[in-house]
Amino acid sequence: MAQADEKTEYKKRVLETMEVNLLSSYYTQDGENAAVTGGIGTEELSDIAPSINVLIPLNDDDVLSIDATVSAYTSASSSNINPFDGAQQADPFVASTGASGQDTWFGLSANYAHSSDDRNTILSGNISFANEYDYTSFGFGGSITKLFNQKNTELQVKANVFFDSWRPQYPIEFRESFSLDDYEFTGNANYAANYSDFQDVGRNSYSVGASLSQILSKSVQTVFMADFVMQDGLLSTPHQRVYFGDIEDTMIENFRLGNDVERLPDTRTKLALGNRTNFYLNQTFVLRTYYRYYSDDWGINSHTFKVELPIKIGMNYTLYPSYRYYTQTQADYFGEFNTLLSTQDFYTSDYDLATYDAHQYGLGFKFYDPLNKFKIGNFGLKSINVEYNYYERTTQNFSAHITSIGFNFIAD
Amino acid sequence: MIKTLTKLMLISLFFTSCVAVKEYEKINLNDPDMKLSERDLDKYKSTFQSYREAAAGANGGKTGGGCGCN
Repeated sequence: MAQADEKTEYKKRVLETMEVNLLSSYYTQDGENAAVTGGIGTEELSDIAPSINVLIPLNDDDVLSIDATVSAYTSASSSNINPFDGAQQADPFVASTGASGQDTWFGLSANYAHSSDDRNTILSGNISFANEYDYTSFGFGGSITKLFNQKNTELQVKANVFFDSWRPQYPIEFRESFSLDDYEFTGNANYAANYSDFQDVGRNSYSVGASLSQILSKSVQTVFMADFVMQDGLLSTPHQRVYFGDIEDTMIENFRLGNDVERLPDTRTKLALGNRTNFYLNQTFVLRTYYRYYSDDWGINSHTFKVELPIKIGMNYTLYPSYRYYTQTQADYFGEFNTLLSTQDFYTSDYDLATYDAHQYGLGFKFYDPLNKFKIGNFGLKSINVEYNYYERTTQNFSAHITSIGFNFIAD
Repeated sequence: MIKTLTKLMLISLFFTSCVAVKEYEKINLNDPDMKLSERDLDKYKSTFQSYREAAAGANGGKTGGGCGCN
């Protein structure tokens, strides 16, 4: 009866089979405070971003996750880095035809996670790369997660660094090839921009974070999250103009020549504290809540509140109505269009750094098939997600629409 | 008043957690919509928000860096 003495401990695989997520989104926005044209001008932009995420179980304990995203966008405001294309009157509210009006962002990241035999410790590491015409980023990081109290409590500590660099695309009037004599202009004939190239084009970001998850009852669980970030280097966006109120304008057609590009400090420290609490109300309703407080040393404070109410309709369908509220105070260096002074050390007219409130309304739909009846090759379709969100700022004329779709496949 | 109520609510929530929930009692907590993280499609919203808003972090996702955003 030697067999009776043998102990066979069953260890559940962290991930049973390979999973593939195909996602895509279509985003459009419009507004009238473009930062490229110093806080006045069209913000019209559209973006399509297909993405693939693959989760691969390497063995019982280890999972490799790979994520690739391509984001192709057209931007009316970016096109006005050079508004003098000759196709139409130069105007901050009219898109130009230049190459800067479109770009493609590509991002690739990988994450490796190892779970201990008792599944109470998870170690992970990640690397990332992203590139677009004027920006490249390399990043890496890691985390350690400990579960205790019969897996009712989870503590995670993580750290990440990014080493990014700009390839600045300055507005056309700041380039050496530009001469005012080549144009008919009005206003200040002694146009002399207050401008010089940025010497340091690197941007480094260092973040540490922690989260504490706690099961509060059979139907309630919560997580507290904190992130502390330090950044240094070129934190300004090199193609965003500013106009000084104490310098007379020089106009070509309907377009003011910039007085400088935005100048922001070369360091920034950020702190974000958040909580997510989910309530399983009954077999039909789940309540998901989220709150975040954010503060940085540029003078910005913000609050974010989100509530989502998944509604299960039968076994296979779920609706996701949601609402998100966001509010922030402005950066110390922000000034509205043509109100900044040339005597200031730092300045920006980027309305993303202004004081504003924003509301976001969303509705999502999920079809879930636990039996994976629909197959493509060796992969079965587990779920389809579709979602639409509308975003608007109440204190600025800015709005955005985002539609997303996702297909989740698992290997047989 | 609101601060006091919030503190009381948080304290009462933690008192309920004195007894650990057993694995076989976690059927509701294991519902996919109860995950204490963003849903897959939320990554697109987080991306545009990281460009259009100054705040980032404390949501299990990006904290800053990796993009020419705020």
